[in-house]
Amino acid sequence: MMESTRAITEMILQEAQKSAEVIIQEAKKTAEDSLTKQRKLGVQRATEEAQSLSKKAQRESEINKLRSMANAKTKANWFILSKKEKIIDNVIEAVENKILTLTESNEYRFILEKLIKDGGVILGGSDLEVLLNEKDSTLPLKLDKLAKEISEKTGVKTRLRLLEEKIEVIGGAMVRRINGEVILDNTFDDILRRRERDLRSEIAKILF
Amino acid sequence: MLEALKAIKEKHLEAKRIIDEANAEADKIIQEAAQQGLREYEIAYKTTIAQAEQKAIDEKRKMAEEAERELGKLLCEAEEQAKEVELKASKNFDKAVDAVFEMVLQ
Repeated sequence: MMESTRAITEMILQEAQKSAEVIIQEAKKTAEDSLTKQRKLGVQRATEEAQSLSKKAQRESEINKLRSMANAKTKANWFILSKKEKIIDNVIEAVENKILTLTESNEYRFILEKLIKDGGVILGGSDLEVLLNEKDSTLPLKLDKLAKEISEKTGVKTRLRLLEEKIEVIGGAMVRRINGEVILDNTFDDILRRRERDLRSEIAKILF
Repeated sequence: MLEALKAIKEKHLEAKRIIDEANAEADKIIQEAAQQGLREYEIAYKTTIAQAEQKAIDEKRKMAEEAERELGKLLCEAEEQAKEVELKASKNFDKAVDAVFEMVLQ
């Protein structure tokens, strides 16, 4: 082969080799760019979802926190309120004991007579029956005198009769018309029950 | 001369083969990269999501701990308040009993 021909053929091969190398290098670069792009896309898509995930988690946490705080506040308020209620119950109990002590005293008879008289006046007099507890039934009550006082107050001739029937109360009296249709409950038990709301409110004002 | 042209033609054919092989190799590299790219995408996506999920769990735990601390504080305050209520009530207890007693007798 002539020298010049050899040179041409070598050059052809060298050029081909160079081109091949460039082709491979370009392909490798394209491949690397593609990988980088895919990685970026993956992170980008995940980041968008992660943001909404984070927001959701934050929102849920805040709701949970608010909910448990609201529950705790209710519990705390209930705790204090129940303490107050208990103390008010203790006052009522102490009042009942004080009433019980009063029923043992000498002045009680006069208080009981006043309760009977007040009941009789409210009922408008006439033929009335008085109900007491076992112990109070033994007191020397002046029922005739009370009947007279009721008559004077109401202008209606009044008679009072102590019934054999006994009631289970701390003290005080129940007065009723002879036909039993209208009953005036002036027992301490009923007064306490009737006025419970007012009494509890008054106790709360004084105590707290 | 003819021999020279023949030799050049042969080398041209060889050169073409080299280029064809390079192109085939390049196609293969790009194809593999495309498949690898999908895998890379999945890995990057899953890793980022897993990190975000862990972060969300940590945030939730942190908030729950914070709420727990505030709850404890709130209950402590309630107990303190209850003690104050009891103390104040004990000072006015007899006064309340007397007042209610009078109300009942009236």
